[in-house]
Amino acid sequence: MAKLIVQNETILNLLIWTPVIGAFALPVVGKVSPRLRNLLALAGVLVSLVCSLALYRTVMAGTVVTVAMETGFGSRLFHADCLAVFMATVSSLVGAIIVFYSWGYISHYDNQNEYYFLVVLFLGSMMGLVFSANLILLYVFWEITALTSWRLIGFFREPQQVVRADKAFMMTFFGAVLMLLGFIMIFDKAGTFDMIQLRERFSSECIPNLAVVLILAGLLSKSATLPLQTWLPDAGVAPSPVTALLHAAVLVKIGVYVYARLLIVTFAIDPMWNVVVPAVAGASAILAAGAAMIETDLKRIIAFSTISQIGFIFLGLAIGRASEMAIAGGLLYILMHGFAKGGLFLCAGIVEQNTHTKDITRLGGLVRTMPVTAVSFLICAFSVMGIPPFGGFFSKYMVIAGAAKSSPLWITLIFVVGAFMTIIYLARVFVMVFMGESKGHEEREGSVVMVGSVALLALLSIVSGLYIGVSSDFAQAAVKQMLGGGQP
Amino acid sequence: MKEAMNLPNQLILLPLLAVVVVNLPLGLRWAAMLGGVFFSIYQMWTMVFLPPLETGFFDLQIDGLSRVLLLSIGLVAFVSILAARGTIRDKRERFYFYNLVLLAMVGMNGLVMVRDLFSLYVFIEITSVASFILIALRRELDGLEGAFKYLIMSAVATAMMLSAVALLLLATGETSFAKVAEQMRLGGSGLPVLAAGLFVAGLLIKAGSVPFHGWLPDAYMAAPNAASILLGGIVTKTTGVYALIRLMQDGMFGTGMSPVLLLAGAVSIVAGALAALGQRDFKRMLAYSSISQVGYIVLSLGTGTALGVVGAVFHLFNHAVFKSLLFVNATAVEDRAGTRDMNQLGGLAARMPVTGFASVVALLSTAGVPPLAGFWSKLVIIVALYKSGHPVYAAVAVLASLLTLAYFLSMQRRVFFGKLREGLEGVKEAGWYVLVPTLALTLITMGVGVLIPWMFGSFVLPMEKF
Repeated sequence: MAKLIVQNETILNLLIWTPVIGAFALPVVGKVSPRLRNLLALAGVLVSLVCSLALYRTVMAGTVVTVAMETGFGSRLFHADCLAVFMATVSSLVGAIIVFYSWGYISHYDNQNEYYFLVVLFLGSMMGLVFSANLILLYVFWEITALTSWRLIGFFREPQQVVRADKAFMMTFFGAVLMLLGFIMIFDKAGTFDMIQLRERFSSECIPNLAVVLILAGLLSKSATLPLQTWLPDAGVAPSPVTALLHAAVLVKIGVYVYARLLIVTFAIDPMWNVVVPAVAGASAILAAGAAMIETDLKRIIAFSTISQIGFIFLGLAIGRASEMAIAGGLLYILMHGFAKGGLFLCAGIVEQNTHTKDITRLGGLVRTMPVTAVSFLICAFSVMGIPPFGGFFSKYMVIAGAAKSSPLWITLIFVVGAFMTIIYLARVFVMVFMGESKGHEEREGSVVMVGSVALLALLSIVSGLYIGVSSDFAQAAVKQMLGGGQP
Repeated sequence: MKEAMNLPNQLILLPLLAVVVVNLPLGLRWAAMLGGVFFSIYQMWTMVFLPPLETGFFDLQIDGLSRVLLLSIGLVAFVSILAARGTIRDKRERFYFYNLVLLAMVGMNGLVMVRDLFSLYVFIEITSVASFILIALRRELDGLEGAFKYLIMSAVATAMMLSAVALLLLATGETSFAKVAEQMRLGGSGLPVLAAGLFVAGLLIKAGSVPFHGWLPDAYMAAPNAASILLGGIVTKTTGVYALIRLMQDGMFGTGMSPVLLLAGAVSIVAGALAALGQRDFKRMLAYSSISQVGYIVLSLGTGTALGVVGAVFHLFNHAVFKSLLFVNATAVEDRAGTRDMNQLGGLAARMPVTGFASVVALLSTAGVPPLAGFWSKLVIIVALYKSGHPVYAAVAVLASLLTLAYFLSMQRRVFFGKLREGLEGVKEAGWYVLVPTLALTLITMGVGVLIPWMFGSFVLPMEKF
């Protein structure tokens, strides 16, 4: 039997370009056969998933896969290390489930060709961003995700939705151009956009604080963290699978991922930031949790919850090189939050589509008519709350334990309070929507495809907690590689 | 004889010949459009595949800069001729239009190839005269008003430039670029500096840079749609901006003009963008957007560095593409929906998918959103600004793209995105004469953006030299 040998570079190229280029074929295919288009959309994302899994062994061995080409702004285009492969796996896995869910959800609406085109392009550019080896390419993919999410948020085209889509685009674009200025400042100092060269250049010397501020503006706007968070709750007008994509799997994770990529791996920054960023994240976590406690729109509650949880991820990452456990916890948090928050949004989508309301005061007793959705919602909520043995427990524990060891006590306390608030508002939502008396909507369980997707995400939340060793080993390997050694 | 028909001469003589032939009583009026289309394609063709280095009459030469400009001229002329065929219903008007475009091409081709100030001035005037008539082509009141404004402002510019040429002649006894630059290096004081200042002021008027922009929105808005494409896409860029680039590159001003250009550029960017935010007429918004984008080119020139010139030329080319595309979109919308008032439009993307998609590509390119072409030229401009020690101007340039995005998103929201407005259900996609240019320009915008890694070293950077 001939053994199939595929070069790692080829795998990496396939991983990125299949969804990016394939997306453009979807509208054409859709004109002929919508069913084939749906299949191909899922296949495109699955190719990314399979390819990232295929790279798993290679990068665990400490190899870094690189795709290089001579360009005017640096010769290395993509590189795959543990961190990147981890992120790509998470995004493509959650992304694939969301595309699958879309088969059911979006089949009721117009412009499906546009929808699948944008979603797949979005996920593809996420892959590109994750593996980018230089700042310019990173920025390019960063903006492709922004402009695809712009069209996706306004997908239903009601005036209010289009305005909010514009708002989201403007705010993230604002952050992004500031970040670009920061990149150019760094380029002016170092003469290169290449991350490896930058890493060598700034191994001992800190980058200017102004550059950190500018880059942070980009990251915070993308990850919807105080003070640039307001677009995210408003973006809840998008179709539910899209909000799941934006909030859970891809868009908001870009900011935290790039934080890890640039401000931990590539540049040395002033130790001051290891307090400032957690403090900002803490404020963000508390305020958003407070907002989630009083909000009555189901999707806005979950959106505020996202803002709050992103604060925890930032906390884990921003403690910096002091605590390996916290960084590993931050990475795990990306994974666990992806599963659980994706599940919550998709559940909200089922509820919204079947009851035609998002107002939790007008919902109730859905556990009787939508049992699977209710149970899935509960499991995902438990994971977000951080209740053992669900996946979210371990990540939250690692982050807070790491913070307790190496950052001021008041920061840890803020986050402990934030964690309690999470439990309260999620419990409130669950009780109001699924328990109590039915409010007399026409209620039925969602389609098999949709319910299957949320059940799968709930299952993943459990499994990832029970087999925490698998993902945490990988996260720890990634952290070791990030903090030195392992990379050429 | 063979020498007389080398490439630089062809680019002047062929369109002139075409105009003469179709106007002779030979029954060849139908050939005017074909002539224009073939000639503009020929021009693009020769420019894409390296033209031979030859020198024509009056020392006409083609170098890297001219090549990019000639390519843009050919492209925009091609687009506007097709758009005219699709949207100008009156046969006579259409015939005049083709002739005037060909004449404008004579002027523009000439002015990007000449090597001395006086010939530059002559060709600028040829282009301007053709444009005056193009604006007033419909013989309606606002067209005449727009043309009249342009005429008056141009006359002022002309007077300035002509006196500048006279002063230089007086001071140095020369008008050729090389000789004047040499004289400026030797002793740039007194008369030559005054002359340079006058000439730059004249060019800024022609370019429609703030504070000399008063004529531009009226002229663009009043012109027939196909003429707006030509004017907004290329005419003001060659008559004003190109000449600035050329003079800057040849070191005609020394470095004395840098602060002026930087300031004029930055003010144009911001003022143009702010004015565009408040518009409800599609074409008027595009006109203000042009002012803003010309600001980027001027700003980039203001750095006075080689990278700055590259950025300026690259942005000029991109601007020719994306702004023509937006004007083509406006043409299509007005032609089909019957109005350019954005408050009366809405949701047209559902009825005109190609136009809608193209407008998104063009606006994102204008705002500098990667991976489209406009991002790369803006990036070069910002890096050039930063490297030449102007971080504040770099920040202005970057933040102004936010304003650009803001007004274009508002346009997109009011015209294309959103729910289809009542009364527009019957709107159909534009015809092929408009769609072909739309598709071509969209592909160029996307292609240049995506293929930049291959083009950056081979096409963009050497732009400044051949």
